[in-house]
Amino acid sequence: MWLSGWRIALLVAILAIWEVVSFTLIDPFWISRPSDIAVRLWDMAVSGSLWTNSWATLWQAILGLALGLPVGLGIGVLLAALPRFASVVEPFWMGLYSLPRIALGPLFVIWFGIGLLSKVMLVFSLVVFVFILNALQGLHEVDRDLVNLMRTMRASRFYILRRVQMPSIIPWIIAAMRINVGIALIGSVIGEMLGANRGLGWYIQISGARLDTTGVFTGLFILMIMAILFNEAIKIIEDRLLPYKRAS
Amino acid sequence: MDMQVSAGPKVVLEGASVAYGDLTVLKDVDLVLGDGEFLSIVGPSGCGKSTLLKLISGLEPPAAGRVFVDGAEIDRTPPHVGFMFQRDALLPWATAEENINVGLELGGYPQADRAKRCQELIDFLQLTGFGKHYPSMLSGGMRQRVSLGRLLAYEPELYLMDEPFGALDAQTKVMMGRELLRIWGRYRKSVIFVTHDIEEAVSLSSRVIVISGRPGRVKREVKVDIDYPRDLRAVRKTAVFHDLCSTIWDEIMGEKAVEQAADDPAEAPA
Ligand SMILES: Nc1ncnc2c1ncn2[C@@H]1O[C@H](COP(=O)(O)OP(=O)(O)OP(=O)(O)O)[C@@H](O)[C@H]1O
Ligand SMILES: [Mg+2]
Repeated sequence: MWLSGWRIALLVAILAIWEVVSFTLIDPFWISRPSDIAVRLWDMAVSGSLWTNSWATLWQAILGLALGLPVGLGIGVLLAALPRFASVVEPFWMGLYSLPRIALGPLFVIWFGIGLLSKVMLVFSLVVFVFILNALQGLHEVDRDLVNLMRTMRASRFYILRRVQMPSIIPWIIAAMRINVGIALIGSVIGEMLGANRGLGWYIQISGARLDTTGVFTGLFILMIMAILFNEAIKIIEDRLLPYKRAS
Repeated sequence: MDMQVSAGPKVVLEGASVAYGDLTVLKDVDLVLGDGEFLSIVGPSGCGKSTLLKLISGLEPPAAGRVFVDGAEIDRTPPHVGFMFQRDALLPWATAEENINVGLELGGYPQADRAKRCQELIDFLQLTGFGKHYPSMLSGGMRQRVSLGRLLAYEPELYLMDEPFGALDAQTKVMMGRELLRIWGRYRKSVIFVTHDIEEAVSLSSRVIVISGRPGRVKREVKVDIDYPRDLRAVRKTAVFHDLCSTIWDEIMGEKAVEQAADDPAEAPA
């Protein structure tokens, strides 16, 4: 209660200063103003474009994450299980990882068109590496004693994977998920900027082209809200998946 | 000693050594554990007691010498060996019940009867009502009992127990010891029981081995000539018991003195 009270107070203060500045110091052409953004939000909500654009961006991000998670986890487990193979391929995938994958965008448009698929693939290419890295690191830090104890009872590798290794990397996967929520939204928006006919990235792009700062800020505001809600959802999932952490 | 054992020995170590890098922890250990014997191991901290159990369970390979379980030289982890680690090593994401269930699953307990058996063990270990608790919500002694539950659930032929009652208060310790003896008396499985508590070692086991400080060797063997079944409280009042305890006590105190001298920086070469 105390915390949210202060948070709201801070938000109100920022908005108030912004509003005042836009009437006094800086022309709203450059920085728009909160009241205009609120009006725009209302208009968009009424016309329905708020939902179509938000949903397009969100859906692409979700699909990219949903693809990146199992693929990244699978590759991570594979690399951890085959250390020799992993050391052979490491420079290759680290090279790919270091590549600014945003630059792959135009290629994805050529390969997958300007529809949903190219954006999903862009998001996927951005998020998959964090999943791989965290899965690898998590598997590396599994408590050796737990594995050894299972070995003394002659547990199969699959049993150890299922009962020890997988549960112990869940916190790592959730951490990856948190990082990736922001990254997925970036990928989704960039994808839309490269060519689309809907989505928040597209909306920000055309607003900018029309010198409509209010439109740009409205798009950014919606993205911010989306990221916050996304993160809250992850927290709820985290509580569900890690009851033993909540308990301690 | 060998002659008293009816079947072939359960465990045989022949000149076994273990080293971690340059550090030789166990050196030339010879040991025979008879089938159905209850052996305790005592010795100063860091002398390699835990390492000895890891060697027998196949977790640490011998640097030299050989290890046999049931007459076969071990290759990786031998079957039907239950190991209770010094630290409880419970799955943090699994409840007490689920942790005990791991022992049932890996021990091949019939699936249909697992829930019932699990509850029996929980009650037996006086954990009633805590089955759904995660390890982080349990006290150290309770976690140790869950860990014991997992071991019992696995129903091993050879029990390797590394200070299993170390985190328990005196009464619970004696009570658990009594239950362990009861189980052992009924099924006559072989037990190697590592402890710091000399009285516990003497009161429970038929033989006590004292390991010397690093590198660990078998320094002294003491046979405990007290008949089973034992009344643990009565046993502790007998003269035999006190004599044995003080013999072992002297042996270990000698050890500690040697350790300290060796660790004295003034005497160590620079
Ligand atoms: N995995 C390891 N790597 C390197 N050294 C180790 C390892 N495990 C144990 N040691 C060393 O081996 C020696 C014996 O360890 P061990 O755990 O067997 O002693 P212990 O007799 O069980 O002691 P305590 O009574 O304190 O439990 C110690 O000096 C320890 O530092
Ligand atoms: Mg130890």
